Amino acid sequence: MIGYVDGTSPLHRAHPYTTLALSGALLFGAFALTRPLEVGLLVLTAVLFAATGRVLRSSAQTALLLSLPIWILLFVLHGLLGAEPRMAFGPVALSVPGIARALVLGGRVTAIVLGFLTALATVSPHRLVEAMTADGVPFGRTFLLASTLTVLPRMRERATQILEAQQCRGLRLGGSIVARLRALGPLALPLVLGALAEVDEQVLALDARGAAGSARRTALDPPPDSRAQHALRWALLALVAAAYAWKFWRMRG
Amino acid sequence: MIRPTSLRDLVLIRLGVAVNLVIGQIVAALLLPVYLDSVGTILVAALVGPRAAITVGLVSQVLNAVISGNFSWLPFALVQVVIALYAAAAARLGLFRRFATAVPAGIGMGLLAASCSAPISYFLFGGVTAGGVTVVTTVLRALGAPLGVAVASASFATDLLDKAIACALVSVVLRSLPGTLAARFPALAR
Repeated sequence: MIGYVDGTSPLHRAHPYTTLALSGALLFGAFALTRPLEVGLLVLTAVLFAATGRVLRSSAQTALLLSLPIWILLFVLHGLLGAEPRMAFGPVALSVPGIARALVLGGRVTAIVLGFLTALATVSPHRLVEAMTADGVPFGRTFLLASTLTVLPRMRERATQILEAQQCRGLRLGGSIVARLRALGPLALPLVLGALAEVDEQVLALDARGAAGSARRTALDPPPDSRAQHALRWALLALVAAAYAWKFWRMRG
Repeated sequence: MIRPTSLRDLVLIRLGVAVNLVIGQIVAALLLPVYLDSVGTILVAALVGPRAAITVGLVSQVLNAVISGNFSWLPFALVQVVIALYAAAAARLGLFRRFATAVPAGIGMGLLAASCSAPISYFLFGGVTAGGVTVVTTVLRALGAPLGVAVASASFATDLLDKAIACALVSVVLRSLPGTLAARFPALAR
């Protein structure tokens, strides 16, 4: 499952920036680590992160489902088709450096996906918007992130309606690739032109809500922050910087 | 994220992001071997300009990750920035005004996009990004191509086709805009 899960875990109670900083550190840290053991520790950290948010089961299941195709392709591309030397593993001969690379790359993807799924499950969108408002983030940025998600289902529904309407008028979706490319216009044009025609109406609606004003907005229920969490966020930044410094120092050596 | 300049830009950015994320539904229905996930970015670059288009690209990449759950694709946000800048320059040169110039502009965009996405795919993900492009990479690798060559060839092949179609589609959209609607976008007149 992808999305927010109500709860009272330490991650749910933490300031949204702290949880996002933890998942961000997993993302940036993943690309700084280059050995299977290091990436293994990173995956373990992501598991602990999910367990702290009490969403380990759901997040790990989704993360495994999402990263499974990547693991399979990595196994084929690097394990089976990788460079010499090879090691017999049952009926197949696997590339030793290829398997090591597949473990690093697959571990990276799994840790990143698990980290962000945990953040999605534990950071309430409402609390995030409140935190951003309290922090003085301009309305435009919060609007873009929050409102685009709400407009998507409407656009999807409209795309389905156009698809059905054009099929009723005799548009064929199958056939040669040229025929299918020709069908793209009658399907995409009404969707885009219809959305463009609504722009003025939406601008007026936003203007009526005072969105054009530059005054700082007051958050009604800003999530509490603490010095410890603030320090933790800086420490994570320093940790990621140190990981990259170590990576480049090792590359030079 | 770059700050949009007006409410109109903000609404158009939202529209561009929605187009980027929803057009895949039509592509899937037509079983086309492309993504077209940058149509909204190119459209906003032509209607508003590079700043808004870069925002569309970055927000699309983040929201795509949020919706799909696959956050490992976030580094490809750089490709969206390059597409936005190229599309804005192409629009300024009037390349989207005619179909005959939009397609070559799309091929140029595909070359540039692939030049950015192939190194990201190769160095950060070992050529595996779980899309159709990875299947092409695997087939080329199985045929004996070195990994770097296989990743680059697959990226160039898919991006050239994808961006050529995306630019052609944007050109058709811009030419189909009713006069009253087109007049509201000063960038179109340049």
